[in-house]
Amino acid sequence: MDRVALQAELVAALGADAVLTDPVSLRAYECDGLTGYRVVPACVVLPRDTAQVAAAVRVCARNGVPFVARGAGTGLSGGALPVADGVVISLQRLRAVVSVDPVNRRAVVEPGVTNLDISRAVAAHGLYFAPDPSSQQVCTIGGNVAENSGGAHCLKYGFTVHHIHEIEVVLPDGTVTTLGGPAPHQGGYDLLGAFIGSEGTLGIVTRITVKLLPRPAAVQTLVADFPSVEQAGDTVTAIVAAGIVPAAVEMMDALAIEAVEAAVSAGYSRDTAAALIVELDGPPAEVTAQFAEVERLCHEHGTTKVHVAPTPEARAAVWKGRKAAFAAVGRISPNYFVQDGVVPRTRLAEALTRIGELADEAGLRVANVFHAGDGNLHPLVLYSEARGEHERAEHLSSSIAELCVDLGGSLSGEHGIGTDKACSMPRQYDDADLATMTLLRRAFDPDDVCNPGKLLPTPRLCGERPGPHRPHPLEAAGLIERI
Amino acid sequence: MPTTRFTPSDVDELRAVLADTTASHPRLLVEGAGTAATTGGRPDPADAVVDTTGLSGVLRYNPADMTVAVRAGTPLTQVQAELAGQRVAFDPARGRRGATVGGLLATADGGPARQQFGVLRDLVIGATVVLADGTVAHSGGHVIKNVAGYDLAKLFHGSLGTLGVVAEVVLRLHPLPRHVVTVAVPGPAEEATRTGTDLLGRGIEPAALEWTPDSGLLVRLEGTEEGVLARAGAVEAVGGTILSDDAQAAAWAGVDAVADPAAPGTTVLRAGTLPSDGPGFVATLAAAAARAGADLAVSSGVGTGVHTVALTGGDHAAVLAAAHAAAGPAVTVLRHDGLDPDAPLWGPPPAAVALLRAVKQRFDPTGRFGAGRLSPWLAPVRDVPATEGVPA
Repeated sequence: MDRVALQAELVAALGADAVLTDPVSLRAYECDGLTGYRVVPACVVLPRDTAQVAAAVRVCARNGVPFVARGAGTGLSGGALPVADGVVISLQRLRAVVSVDPVNRRAVVEPGVTNLDISRAVAAHGLYFAPDPSSQQVCTIGGNVAENSGGAHCLKYGFTVHHIHEIEVVLPDGTVTTLGGPAPHQGGYDLLGAFIGSEGTLGIVTRITVKLLPRPAAVQTLVADFPSVEQAGDTVTAIVAAGIVPAAVEMMDALAIEAVEAAVSAGYSRDTAAALIVELDGPPAEVTAQFAEVERLCHEHGTTKVHVAPTPEARAAVWKGRKAAFAAVGRISPNYFVQDGVVPRTRLAEALTRIGELADEAGLRVANVFHAGDGNLHPLVLYSEARGEHERAEHLSSSIAELCVDLGGSLSGEHGIGTDKACSMPRQYDDADLATMTLLRRAFDPDDVCNPGKLLPTPRLCGERPGPHRPHPLEAAGLIERI
Repeated sequence: MPTTRFTPSDVDELRAVLADTTASHPRLLVEGAGTAATTGGRPDPADAVVDTTGLSGVLRYNPADMTVAVRAGTPLTQVQAELAGQRVAFDPARGRRGATVGGLLATADGGPARQQFGVLRDLVIGATVVLADGTVAHSGGHVIKNVAGYDLAKLFHGSLGTLGVVAEVVLRLHPLPRHVVTVAVPGPAEEATRTGTDLLGRGIEPAALEWTPDSGLLVRLEGTEEGVLARAGAVEAVGGTILSDDAQAAAWAGVDAVADPAAPGTTVLRAGTLPSDGPGFVATLAAAAARAGADLAVSSGVGTGVHTVALTGGDHAAVLAAAHAAAGPAVTVLRHDGLDPDAPLWGPPPAAVALLRAVKQRFDPTGRFGAGRLSPWLAPVRDVPATEGVPA
């Protein structure tokens, strides 16, 4: 469709103050947290409410124009990458906490509210929203629903899909519907569960009823140093085998610790091969009993030092270091890729050994930060753009994700498939699997206008025979570029 | 009941059965152990039954990863029996009668452990399904954390055999608790809801929080001995009594008996409400049952707002109508033995009913599976406008 006519139709539907058309403004939306892919959209709209979101979608649907929903743009898989000649629908103006119901432990919020602001809004009632992605200060709940976001504490508490009662959704034809309901028992297919984690490909969420949890009565956190990553990994297996479900179990290797200490001085030991963070929360007597056992298991598996956070402030420092790890890597490397793969927990040590070998072969360094409790790895591939290492780094990063699949795991634990890994999907799922997933997509979006080209491989993006081939034809054609 | 029964014993046989019989047996009824044969509708006549009980057995148990892959026709009790020091944290009443994992997924069943662990939609991490034309599709995998691709297991949760056949599932496991105590707090529904809300707010973390008129509020606590006893003390302080092992077992058997009663001619329904609306909902149904001359048994998840109601004697249709009026599309009839054959089982359709139909149309375009179930929400496929461009 003609760009000027599209813009005029959107202005007529939403008003001039809700439509961005000048090239400088549009450039701000050209990528999300995966900055290697950039596409400038034809237009960005900033609706104020559900009706305006629906109006914008109807304009797109009527004209067959693709659209992409966008929250804070912190996603790391290119899920909010614009489509050329398409519309970006930003949810940043829908940021009201509509209501809080402390008796039923839930709140109704708009999609542009940040993850952490939900917990802030309900803190006075002793409640919080459990999913805690590292970007929680800025990422939005709408994005969390799209990505089924996890976080450090999902081992015990689950993912976003376990914490949503009901959502209002604008479907790709512009109609508005509701999925889920007041209680976790609704008749029919679990469309709410299918929608959460669909990466913006099934519709745009415009209102969310989130489940809130009471703040745990007690929390205890320790950091244990280990002389090897393997010993730290064995400790995790022993903790779980003892019947303990920690709130969080995180691991960092020496390189990640070096970066974190350079950036925020969180108090991690600089001279250790691996640090394990274990947090237990729950009823005080339960936490006290199990925490003693965790300490014992750490010693049994050769810890060289156990640091128990004595105060809430000390605990916050531990977490500040962990959650700052991605950004901190910038202190020790000019450029880096964040990878997000999952392996069965029992294959952690094997995965790390293989990652080390792949890194050596590529002549690059990899810092490892990961959710050890659920086998979710976040290898950080360090490289220098200036030294021309980009391509090697990107190849190493993809190899690591595909290694995870080969070890019986998954391409992604929480960052999503988006643009980044769509062409790797055939590594994990066969043609019939992908065709069946397409059936679900087409039930919601028969005309392929809702975030097209994401999540599932397309011949256009990945070559006629979908497969993990690079570079992208689009890149070769100059339609997308990498920095 | 059709006489032809297909009894595949693995995914390949199931695929072959479905692919080879599209012309000879166009309409199929999927059946597991038969413990929920009347849940969610009255199946129309079919040309053959696909019996999933041959799809049985544990495929892969990884205790250190706390996952287990099973064929979907495996009885839940058999899965539990093969686990060592671990469990599927899922306790639907029908489990005791041999209900299969796939059947429990397709019927979206659940028990009191829903409070802490949810139901199968929350515990299934991977699934293999077979569609009407024999297409075998997987989603998820063997790891707890996995956001790659759409989650087909969610779609099949509550599908009542109308989309395809669930062939295999991978389940997340939890440790068996070392110590389990149930504390009973007597009182009516309103008081139980207040007490339950208070206990949840204080971080007691009950594994189950269920109210019945006979037992009052049942607070199930699981964990270490020290932790459980400390928490039980807090519940005693609000008027609770720690039950003996026998009394504990009897109390939970009483809860199970509401969802899966032995008496013939019983109608069982399940409904979801806001937790705070639970007592009002229960009172509404009790009043309707009294007017209809029916005996009503009830069990309410105080934290979840999920209620199970069993009716014996009297006019069940009037009570079901009251449930539909109060809880709309969140009402499922688990058993309709006490209802007339033509009584409507489903209430007002959910807002997204058009999407339900669109999903049905895409997954089962010829209407091969489960006709009559989820009716009338799933209009007959021929009445749904055809959408072109089904992808390869």
